[in-house]
This record gives sequence, C-alpha cells and structure tokens, in this order.
Amino acid sequence: MKTTLQKNSKAILVLIVIAAFLVIAARGMSGRDVVITVLRGFSVGSVTFLVAAGFSLIFGLLDVLNLAQGALYMIGAYVGWTVYVRPDTFVDVLTPVLLILTAFALNILWKHLAGAIKMQAKLRKLISWVLMAGGFVLLWIFLTKYPISLWDLNNYSQSPITYSYMADQGLRIVPAEATFEVISPIIAILGIFVSSSLSAFGLALRNREETQLRKMNWRQLIAPALLFLVAIFAAIFNAPITAWMYALSTNWLFVIAVGVTILTGVGLGALIETTLIRPLYNRPIYQLMLTLGLGTIGVQIVQAVWGRPEFVWPKPELFRGTGGACPATNLADLIENQCSTIMILGGRVRVYDEIFIPVVGIIVLVVVWILLKRSRIGMIIRAGVQDRQMVEALGINVRRVFTLVFALGVGLAAFGGALAAPSSGLTPTMGDRLLLSALIALAVGGLTSFPGAALGSLLVGLIQQFMIKYGQIGIPLPFTDVVFKPSPALVPASTVLLMVVVLLILPNGLLGKKE
Amino acid sequence: MTTNSNFLTRNRGILIFFVVMLLAPFLIGLLEGSSPAVVLANEGGLSKFLEGLGIEIFILAIFALSFDLLFGITGLLSFGHAMFFAVAAYLTGIALKTLQLPFWQVTLLVLLAAIVQALLFSIVLPRVKGITFTLVSLGLASVFHIIVMSSDMINLTGADVGLQGVPTPAFINPASERFRFYVIALIFLVATYIFYRRFVASPTGRVCVAIRENEDRAKMLGYSTTTFKVVAMIISSITASIAGMLHALYQPIISPTVADLGFTVTALLIVLIGGVGTLSGAIVGAFGFRLLDFTLRRFLGESASFVTGSVYVIFVLFVPYGIIGTLRLEKLSTRAGWKELFSRIRGNA
Amino acid sequence: MNNILEVQNIHSFINQYHILQNVDFVVPRGSITALLGRNGAGKTTTLKSILGLTSVRQGKVVFDGQEVQGMQPFEIAALGIGFVPEHRAIFRDLSVEENLKIAERNKGELDEKREFIFNLFPDLKRFLHLRGTELSGGQQQMLAIARALVADNHLLLIDEPSEGLAPVIIENMIDVIGQLSKQSTVILVEQNFLVASKLAEYFVIIEEGKSVETGLMKDLEADKAMIQRYLGAA
Repeated sequence: MKTTLQKNSKAILVLIVIAAFLVIAARGMSGRDVVITVLRGFSVGSVTFLVAAGFSLIFGLLDVLNLAQGALYMIGAYVGWTVYVRPDTFVDVLTPVLLILTAFALNILWKHLAGAIKMQAKLRKLISWVLMAGGFVLLWIFLTKYPISLWDLNNYSQSPITYSYMADQGLRIVPAEATFEVISPIIAILGIFVSSSLSAFGLALRNREETQLRKMNWRQLIAPALLFLVAIFAAIFNAPITAWMYALSTNWLFVIAVGVTILTGVGLGALIETTLIRPLYNRPIYQLMLTLGLGTIGVQIVQAVWGRPEFVWPKPELFRGTGGACPATNLADLIENQCSTIMILGGRVRVYDEIFIPVVGIIVLVVVWILLKRSRIGMIIRAGVQDRQMVEALGINVRRVFTLVFALGVGLAAFGGALAAPSSGLTPTMGDRLLLSALIALAVGGLTSFPGAALGSLLVGLIQQFMIKYGQIGIPLPFTDVVFKPSPALVPASTVLLMVVVLLILPNGLLGKKE
Repeated sequence: MTTNSNFLTRNRGILIFFVVMLLAPFLIGLLEGSSPAVVLANEGGLSKFLEGLGIEIFILAIFALSFDLLFGITGLLSFGHAMFFAVAAYLTGIALKTLQLPFWQVTLLVLLAAIVQALLFSIVLPRVKGITFTLVSLGLASVFHIIVMSSDMINLTGADVGLQGVPTPAFINPASERFRFYVIALIFLVATYIFYRRFVASPTGRVCVAIRENEDRAKMLGYSTTTFKVVAMIISSITASIAGMLHALYQPIISPTVADLGFTVTALLIVLIGGVGTLSGAIVGAFGFRLLDFTLRRFLGESASFVTGSVYVIFVLFVPYGIIGTLRLEKLSTRAGWKELFSRIRGNA
Repeated sequence: MNNILEVQNIHSFINQYHILQNVDFVVPRGSITALLGRNGAGKTTTLKSILGLTSVRQGKVVFDGQEVQGMQPFEIAALGIGFVPEHRAIFRDLSVEENLKIAERNKGELDEKREFIFNLFPDLKRFLHLRGTELSGGQQQMLAIARALVADNHLLLIDEPSEGLAPVIIENMIDVIGQLSKQSTVILVEQNFLVASKLAEYFVIIEEGKSVETGLMKDLEADKAMIQRYLGAA
C-alpha cells in the first residue's frame, strides 16, 4: 500500500492541489451556488466522460486517436432528435438503411464468392472499382427516388426549428406521409438492395487478404436475413408503426430514441472500423488524419441535412412537470409531480440536466467498469492494451475485438450526444467543443486509462463550471477592490491550462501508466 | 563557376517554376489582350485577379512547407501549427494599425515572436512525446484562438469579425502594387524551398530525418534529439511567421479562422495531397488545394467543404504518398525497369 | 507423419528488411528442438514466422500436415501452437488467474488443467490473485509457460526461458520443460548452450537469417569446432 502511495506521489499531490483550488473557489460562493456549480460540473463531466471513455478504450486497444468522436457525438444527438421529434421520418429511413446494412452484412457471402473467382490482380482491381462506383451511383439514384417524409430547411414553418418548437409546446404536427410516386415499392426496395450488394461485392473483391477460402457457415447468414426481414416489415407496416410512435408517451419515445441512437453509433463505429480504419493499421498517423477528415465530413453532412441553426430537443414528460408542488422539495413530491426542478440546499436544480445526466454517467461508468473487469471480452481488452501480438498468439481474433471496441466507443459517444442534447440543444458545432473537452480530459487523466478518463472528465467539468459561475459573480482579487470576471471565452482556456500544467508535471497524465 | 552551375542543376525544377510563375501574369495578360506594360501597371483585369490567387497559393505553400518540415521531415505532428501563422498575422496587423510601428520594427517583432513561440513549444518537447505532443500543441493553439476570439480583446483583434483596416506600407500595397507583391511572395516561396532542400541535405537535417524514422536509435547514436527538434521547430516557426505576415499584408481582413485547428488541417491536407516529407509536395499541394477549393466553392457553394473532406479521406486511403511521393515511386520502378531492359540487351549481346 | 512441423525454405520480412533468408528445418513429433545462433541471427523471427506474427513471403510452414503460412496468427495458434515469448511477456495488468484464463480456447479448459499446471508450478497456486507486476522474474516466466499449457497445444514455442534468471530457477525450468516434452513437442530458442544441450535432442543453427546446420544435439556437443564457429565460446 505504501509503495503505491509513493509511486503515485506526484499524481496525488497534483490532485490535492486541484482539490484545494476547488475548495478555495467554492468558499467564495454562497452555498446554493456551490451546489448548482458542482452538480453542473458533474453533468458536463458525465457527458464529456461518455465521449472520452470511448476515446480511451479505442486509443488504448487500437492505438487510434479517433478525432471523429466529436462529430459522432453530434450525429448521435441529431439521430436521436429525429426519432424523438419526427418518428415518421425515422420509420421511412429505416427500410433503406436496413437494406444497405443487409447487403454489407452479407460480407462473408461476398468474400466467399470473391475468393472463388480467379482472375488477374489488375483486372480484379478494375472490376472491384467499377462495381463499387457503379453500385454507389445506382444506390444514389434509387435513394433519391425513395419516398422519405422530411423537413424543409428553406421553409421556416417546416424546418426542424419549428417541429422542435411545436413538440416542445406539446403540439405534435403529423406531417403528410410521403408515398411511392415515381417507382413501385418493390422495384425501389430491390433496387436499393441490389445496388448496395454490388458495392459490397466490389469491396470484397478488393480486399483479397485471405489466401484460403473461409469455411462458410449457414448460421452466419441468419443476422443478414433478420435485418432484411425487419426492413421489409418496416416497409409494409410503415403507416401503423408511425401512428403507433406518435401516440406513444414522450418518455417511451425518449427511450426508443436513445436506443436507436446507440445502435446507430455502434453500427457506424463497426462500419468505420472495418472499411476505413482497418486498411490503415500499419500507418497510425494516417488513421489519425482519416478520423479528422471523417469528422469534418460528419459536420458537413449534419449541416446539409438538418441545417445550421440551433434547435432544441424537448425533454420527455418525466422531467417537465411544473404544477402544484413544483419545484419539489423532497423526493416524494418530485416523483409524484414529475417536476422539472428540485430544491437542494436552497438552490433550484434542474432535474434532467443536473441530476439525471450525472446519474446516467455514473451508471455507464459502473457498467463499462464491470464489463472490463468481469467479462472475458474485458479481459481481452485489458490484455490487448498491453500486448496485442501476444493476445493474438494465444489464438484470439484480436481484429474482431478491435471492431467491437470501436463500435462500443462510438456507441458511447452517440449516446452522450443524445443524452446531452435535451439540455444543451443541437448545433453543428456541438461536437467540436466537446471533442476539445474530451481530449483535455483524456490527457489530464492519462490517455489509455479508463478510470483516468472518468477523473479527467470530472475535473474538466468542474473547472469549466466554476469558471462560468465566476464569470457571473466575479472573483474579488485579493488586496484590491477589483472584481475580475472571466469572460465565457476564457472557460475552455482554463481547462487547457490545467492540461498543460498536468502534462508538464506528469507526462502520462494523472492515472496513466509509464511506458 | 562550378558551384554556380551546380546550384542551377540541383535546383533546376524550382528555378523553372520561378521563371514560369514570373512570366505567367504577362502571358495571361497577353491572352486577355493587355500588354506587359498594362500588367506591370497593375491594370490588367484577369491577370491581376490571377496574381491575387497566386499570392494566396504562395502564402499557403510557404505555410505548408513549414508544416512539412515539422511533420514530414522531423516527424512531429503538431496540431497547433496555425498558431505560428496566426500570431505573426495578428502581430503584424496590431503593430501596424494600433501601435503604428515602422515596417522594419514590425518585421523584427514578428521574427522575435516566432522564436519565442518555438521556444515555448520547446519547453514541452522533451517531456511529452508522440500523440501527447499533438494534444498539447492543440491545447496551446486553441488557447490562442480563444484569446483572439474573446470579446475582451475586441479592440485589438476584432474578435470573431477579424482584424480590419491594417495600413499596408505603400510599396507593397496589394491593390496598387499587386505585381510587386506577387513577385515578393514568389521569391519568398522559392527561397524558402531552396533553403529547406539544403537544410534536409545538411547533417542537421539528416538527424531530423533519423528522429522521424526512429527517435530512440538517433538518441542511442548520441544525438541530443531535443536540440534537433528545437532547431527544426524554430526554422518552421519563422517560416510560418513569414507566411503569416504576408497574409496580414495581403488580406483586407485577418480572420480568426487562421488561428483554429481547421487551418492546421489545411496545411496537413496540402502536404498530404502533395506528398508528406517531399517538400516540393507542399507547393504542388498548395496549388491543388487552393484551385480545387476555389472551383468547388464557385460551383457548389456551401457543400464545397464536404467534397474537400472527401478528397482528403480518399487521399489518406488510396494515395498515401501524395502526388509527388507516388510519382517518385513510379519513377523508381520505371528506372528499375529500364535498367533491367538494358542489362538484358547487354546480356544478349 | 513423423514431423509435427516442417519449415521449408522460408523468407520473412519486417517492414522492408529481409530478416529470414532461407530457413529450413523439420521438427519430429515429441522431440525438443533447440534453435541456436548468435544475437540477431533470426531465431525469434523464426518462431514468429511459424506463428504468422511476422509475414512469410516465400516458402512453406507445414504444421500437422497443413500449410499455415499466410494465415492469421490467431488461426495458426488455434490449431494447437502455444507461444512463450521472450522477456516473459505476461499481461501485467491481469491477475495470475486471469493470465491463465485468457488462454482458454474452450470454456472450462483451465479447470481441467488446473491440477496439472499447479503440480508443475506450485508457486502460481499461492499467487493466484496477485497481479502480473507483483511477481518475481522467475514466477513471471513460470506463468508465461503455464499460460501456454492451458489450451490443448501440440507444439510449444519457447523463446529464451532462462534469460535473466538465477541458476537455481534455471534448474527448475529445465526440469519443467523436460516434463512438458513428454506430452507435446517443444521448440526452444536458447542463448545458454548448457541449458539447450541438457534439454534438446535436435538442434538448428541459424546464422544471418539462414539455417546453416541441423542435426542431433549429441553430435553438436562432440563437435567443439562447430560450436566455436557458430556460437562463440561455449
């Protein structure tokens, strides 16, 4: 025990100094300000943690600094918003997306076919390119013909802002359903499936790493078949599903939205890892640049689809109560009236923002922690962080674990986006800000350390919130009458300063291990 | 005499580039029907416009060169490189506009600032390695970006609007003396390139390359790798500062976007398009990037950056060595092919 | 089939460096074969090439009658090859128990082998819940070998087991590896010629990426000139 203390004396010292700073900072505030500030710190810390946790897992095992994590957080928020505010759009989009996924999930079949075809390397390359490009163009054509009821960015009364506002007022407008006009549904569905299959087959042709034919197992085709069936199901029962979702209470809708967001994140993560990151494992710097590029593309896509202006994600009913005994003063009142605010130590605290988000953050921390410590996959991850080659030499398919971890990491980031959006609103820049916070949190906590990510996120959240609070009430400088008010712009600067100082003293961060 | 001809042959490519770029405004002038005199007097329409585009490209190329020296040659990936550029640009603007210093003092100030910044990074350099350095540089640069953007500094920097109304000295006024500005920017680019080529070939430069390949081995050979990194950092910082200063003199507004991560990514993209670590790739890449960006913006407007992003991803995935790097690879293989052919002929004979 | 492993004229590369330039030998079933040679001769690379951790660009590696070159390392290992890398590469953040558990290829394998392993390495039983970092060098080496025994491996690749260990512990190690060879074939990379000569029946000498001599260990022991030539003073 003594040795661990000695070994980490520097880290402990730094932590004590930071804690002392926070205590001194808190002394200058009234009790109710302290409560609110600390809770907000936890809230921001939780959201940062969701992004940083994925970061740390991915970087630890795969050595990939996924700079697209911020954009994926943002995409999570926008996807969740769509399910929540416009379920009809979601149901419309479901069919084509699932069809494309089916085509790519049949990868094993494509690889088998590609392996069976013998031809010259150059010809193979050419054909694969033609198939990929041709499939993509065809897919694009079919997708534009496929009816999807969407908002209209150029028409304010049908823009996402209006839909959000109306939903916030409790008035849900159910827009007119888009119908098949140009082509028959069967042709559209088949077209999308066939054209994406062409692309997938082209991709399988290109990757010819296998020298031997993999044994194909019919069980591996069950998942794609299920996807296909769900897609067809969603296409046939489009209208009833939409009506059912509109009739749901917003609490359940919120749960569905978050679930879909997480699945989207996991799917996107798996897709990015297998198609884009995997070819670059020998070139780490290129992976970094790739994720950077993906991040910018993500922001562009969001701007093109959902527009630049900020809009809100109305909170679910559970956190909206205002009548009677609200703001609640005790737990019973809170649960009974579903109050939006609660009084704690004289401070009025928003339940969703300052209680619910931190609680979810802690739950995720615990769940991932248990997953890492108790499950076989967690054991493999921990071992892989240290020595990937040795794990492979034990007969474990590390690549599959890579995909899983990447998917999990992106899923967490998307979850973070969906969780934060009802409190922070949605803008195309929301990811950039969070990316910086998460990077700082990681650097402070230690790049590959999972508890480090949690600690770093919490510190970043707390320091930001204290700075913001002091921006409002001002810091009386000692021995003078001057009150210094840090402007909001200086808030991120304070956390950067924290990072630089911590890294100068501890190059591996607070909980990072020495190499 | 021999050294002179050596200099000419060694730098044949860049000197041809210099002459072509020098003549280009006149040729374009002739095409649109204005005589060389008109071009010299800065009255040609199209040629003056293209000179402007050229100046932007040269500035970008100088900036990208400085980035390539750090990243491509020495192997330091800094996400704070835009700071060198932006500090110089803002310093030039503020010194000319608010402090109203004479031009030579401004230049001195900018150079001093460049060295100070490089030394600032150098404090961190020996302590943090690899990806952590990237993060720290990103952090330092974003602090500068935040300060520039903050409303407290609005009088000096113009915050998010940008710094406007910088009085450019009359002899290089971008409007009335555009051709002169064009030539000066071109000369800076060519001089930087030639200097960099020499630097890379020098013993110091070779150690830098060795650091990129394997830092531990370079250390084991007895080199103080930190010193070499600092040298590369100072050279790079000064070069980026020159680009930043030219930018401040040329552009009517110094926008805070030159201080953010996006601008560093631009340099990365340019170097990537041209070829990492090739130096000449930075120039090719700057042309490619700016012309692509210009055309796309013209025809696609807003969604141009989406295409730029895709180009970036495609280059990372499929053309990792960039244009110049790929060409060099091809050249080697063609050369080997010729060699084989010749040896066969000789063998038969 | 008498040979569990046949390495046929392989050439391996690490990045652009041509490390193995024609290594060729066979390993009879149930034997201990020692790979000998100077530092940097390519012994470790040979082991890694067998497992596919280093890519084999030419030649064949035949394990149990199946060509394995070009397969993924995890696929090769799963055919029944256990690897004990140099520098005792155990997982430091995992407990001793987890270090063994992770090597399971089928559920419950560890429980079947538990008794066998703890008979060989009584120390490990006592330290089951310590973390890898808290073990001594000798114990780490034991753990690394034990880890290779959890799954059903017919071939063990052991890289420098005696490196940096005290003489008493080396004696113990020789004893253990001797016992192991009753059940599976062992390929041993060893700098310490005394250790190798005590254990191995066959030897392969690798010099500058080529296998230059193969044969019976007892012949090598008798040929002082050859030992001098390839291994320096023995």
